[in-house]
Amino acid sequence: MKEIEHGFFRHGANAYLANFSEAEREVLTNLVEQIIELLAERVDHHNDDPLAAMVGITMHDTPPDDEVLLRLLPNAYADQVDASEFRRYTESTLRQKKQAHAMAMRMHLKSAVDGIVEVDHDGANAWLGAMNDVRLALGVRLKVEENTHQDLELLAPDDPMRGVYAVYSWLGWLQESLISALMDESE
Amino acid sequence: MVKIKDKIEEELQAIFSADVPWITIVWDDPVNLMTYVTYVLMELFGYNKEKAHELMMKVHTEGKAVVSSGSREEMEHDVARLHEYGLWATLQRGDQAI
Repeated sequence: MKEIEHGFFRHGANAYLANFSEAEREVLTNLVEQIIELLAERVDHHNDDPLAAMVGITMHDTPPDDEVLLRLLPNAYADQVDASEFRRYTESTLRQKKQAHAMAMRMHLKSAVDGIVEVDHDGANAWLGAMNDVRLALGVRLKVEENTHQDLELLAPDDPMRGVYAVYSWLGWLQESLISALMDESE
Repeated sequence: MVKIKDKIEEELQAIFSADVPWITIVWDDPVNLMTYVTYVLMELFGYNKEKAHELMMKVHTEGKAVVSSGSREEMEHDVARLHEYGLWATLQRGDQAI
């Protein structure tokens, strides 16, 4: 088995493997569980139309207040009226699709044998989507917009953001390894 | 008054001219990896590596790129799929300034 510093690698026609330590699996599981929780439907105490809810239409047409959620569920139109209308009909489905990616990743981590995670092409896409959502969420917290990578590299050893940045960078590296394994196939 | 008339005519034209294309725009984002953006464009739109890479570079250097065009419904579908994979995308009428 290849060493962990290889991240994901291709194995046969439609399998991608990665070997994780128990601590790494714990970190990844913990992160995807936070995403699953974050993407749970907005709790609304005033009467939602049950029939509308059944087909994924909600009364929510305002962008989320939370900065992280807003990045995960962005506006589809610059125009606010169009953006609200679109959100009302699609936000619920988008939450479910993103949750499904995160849940697939959690399931693969749980069913790892000897720390080895194996995914097929669809599983790999779910991992990429979920890892990206985690990176987007961490990116908002790290203020990647304003801070350069150099600023983040130079965080003081006791700065709690230093650990967050380490995880963010590691996830980027892991994502990159899976993409190169997938691209290898499409050459 | 003339202005309102023009506005109404413009709206009517928009309603009846189904051939006015809509466009999907992907915006630059400091988190998404360049290789990831390329891969998502290949997966979702079936673009080859060269075309996907070219579009990604346009997003990266110019801040945005039009990645697809078609009917409003098709573009709403494209934007929803791009959002599913975390790319920052919007749609608009093709004849509007970006």
